[in-house]
Amino acid sequence: MKRLIVLLVGLTLVVGACADGGDNASSLLDTVQARGTVLCGVNDVLPGFGIVDDAGNFGGFDVDLCRVVAAAVLGNANAVEFVPLTAGERFTALQSGEIDVLIRNTTWTATRDGQEGSTFLLTTFYDGQGVMVPEASDVTSIEDLADANICVLSGTTTELNLTSVFNSRGIPFNPVVYADNTGLRPAYEEGQCDAWTSDVSQLTAYKAAIEDEGGAAQRILSDVISKEPLGPVVLDGDSGWAQAVEWAIMATVQAWEFGITSGNVTGFPTDDDNVRRFLGQLDFEAGLGLPSDFAVQVISQVGNYEEIYNRHLVPIGLPLSGSPNDLWTNGGLMYVPPYR
Amino acid sequence: MTTSTDKRAADPRIAWYRNVRILRVVVQSVFVAAVFTLLFWLFNNLINNLDRLRIGTDFGFLGRSTGFQIPYDEGFDPRSPVRDMVLVGVKNTLLAGFFGILLATVLGVIIGVSRLSTNWLVAKLAAIYVETFRNIPPLIIIIFFGFAVFTYGPFPVLSNAAEIRFPGADRTGLILSNTVWGIPSFLAGPNIGVFWASMAVAVVAAAVAFGWRTRLHERTGAPERRARWSFGVFMVVALAGLVLGGDAFSISWPELSETRRRVVGGFRLNNGFISVTVALGLYTASHIAEIIRGSILAVPKGQSEAANAIALTGFQRYRYVLLPQAMRIAVPPIISQYLNLVKNTSLGVAVAYAEITNLTLTSIGNGRPAPQSILVLMGVYLMFSLTISFLLNIYNRRIQLVEH
Repeated sequence: MKRLIVLLVGLTLVVGACADGGDNASSLLDTVQARGTVLCGVNDVLPGFGIVDDAGNFGGFDVDLCRVVAAAVLGNANAVEFVPLTAGERFTALQSGEIDVLIRNTTWTATRDGQEGSTFLLTTFYDGQGVMVPEASDVTSIEDLADANICVLSGTTTELNLTSVFNSRGIPFNPVVYADNTGLRPAYEEGQCDAWTSDVSQLTAYKAAIEDEGGAAQRILSDVISKEPLGPVVLDGDSGWAQAVEWAIMATVQAWEFGITSGNVTGFPTDDDNVRRFLGQLDFEAGLGLPSDFAVQVISQVGNYEEIYNRHLVPIGLPLSGSPNDLWTNGGLMYVPPYR
Repeated sequence: MTTSTDKRAADPRIAWYRNVRILRVVVQSVFVAAVFTLLFWLFNNLINNLDRLRIGTDFGFLGRSTGFQIPYDEGFDPRSPVRDMVLVGVKNTLLAGFFGILLATVLGVIIGVSRLSTNWLVAKLAAIYVETFRNIPPLIIIIFFGFAVFTYGPFPVLSNAAEIRFPGADRTGLILSNTVWGIPSFLAGPNIGVFWASMAVAVVAAAVAFGWRTRLHERTGAPERRARWSFGVFMVVALAGLVLGGDAFSISWPELSETRRRVVGGFRLNNGFISVTVALGLYTASHIAEIIRGSILAVPKGQSEAANAIALTGFQRYRYVLLPQAMRIAVPPIISQYLNLVKNTSLGVAVAYAEITNLTLTSIGNGRPAPQSILVLMGVYLMFSLTISFLLNIYNRRIQLVEH
């Protein structure tokens, strides 16, 4: 909570300092390019999406998307300063200018779009809320969870969904609420909770982690109780920066659609003007404020969407093919506007 | 009384810019103006930026629905407004604060006096206690209880909870688990009115006894013994009322629900509450013990020697000579320990205790505006602190030396 006070002071001071200019101030895009690093708000304890390894390096799906933004805007995927945030801190950090972009498994909702002074750009991962129980438990659906202690992170859409879904179905429950997973996971594993609810992707990640580390076998119930579209968030009122981040990330999906990977991006054989334009080989200026070769930088340094997904999410048990996160041509929801 | 400064100030030959009296006023005005300008600038920035981000600056959110369920509060409807959530948070903070202060005071006084004991072992044990707890940050102690005692500790999970019967009782009196503990509690019975009536009568009777003893003492010089008499009269009348009234109370026994996932009946303590209360009680006790010890040592040695000289027993020496004088010194620093304890309950967020800070942070995380929520939070703590210091300052004034 000390941190929150600091953020609050930041809100008055930092944003305040650059506020007098107000609406005619230059875009964050220029600021980031002048600074030479992207300040990216991420998770640091969620396997697959954002986690710090033993050597102190950040890794994961969301973390790679931060690197995508840096590669596109600055030409260097490593020019990212990662700012680990809890669920409760993330919007205040964005509002106070502590971070440029928030890529921290954040669900897009109307209230957050409207009241947090933030703009959601696109969905990078289609998720839904599920419930995990120990394999030994006799719970088979959420109807069996009457009176249960349910582990949930505070300040999440998960917490609100849990409350409204259980209340509307008339299932009494008691939430066990921690601010981060380092408190929640032991509480669940040691039986202080009968069940753990979160996005299915997170549960899958923790199921794998618990089982790999010798814990009890886990089971994820088939009930999915919400839509959780996760994606990057920037501050309201700066469309220049918003578009730069959006198109940088969409380039990974476009490359996937073209079949361009980090392995074949240099000298990718093509006569297709659509592809050549995308790779900056034509005299084309989209006016996004991004370098003409931004897509090449993104793909060569980080990879396309499929590569990023396979690198981080397949190992924790989230298959790509057949999921909503597959390419639209394969029946999934990943579809981006044409780059022309 | 005339000082040299006043002389100079009155002297018309001294230029205004060298006149101390004028300079003082000028400097202080400039300082006050600077502080207010800074505050106004900060406030203005905040408002401007919130406006720019189209984040509201009003307190309307207090009337909108909370949206989430509060842990271990079955009665709370998540659709009720945020201000109800604030009240639940205040209640939980006060519960932890009250029982924490109780534990800290009892333990602190015992240990403080023990440190002065002539018994080597007792004194050393008290010293070890003080040096241990005083030197560990309270957050670490709270986390120790939350995780080492509860999460990873010896207690079974709730569905497998230890159900303990008190000797002679025919049902479970104590439920121990790693989440919730259940203990028996009193419920109002059908004749609760008789009980309250007899309490009222008992208070009046005690007051009468008090007055009678005072007058008796003034008239005849007989020992006052007002406290003893008042208390005795109160107990006799109250007990008589309780016996005659009958069924004023029923006992509510704790038991596991059918699902074995919840404790129903009795008084229920959750792991977060126990961790915060016990940890802060133990921590603050170490500080209070030092205050008590220091205050007793601050009573002039002659007082103790005089008490010995008139052959008071050890207990009498403390009760009638040392403690009354020591308390005068001890109360102000103890007040600040109480304030610290109440404020430290905000560390309960680490063990998921639903006190006011934890709930406010959760509420901010769920989209309530941070600046206004934090203002409400600050207001709540300010209210706690002012109330505690107000009450204890009254007590403090009562026990100070009154010079006639």
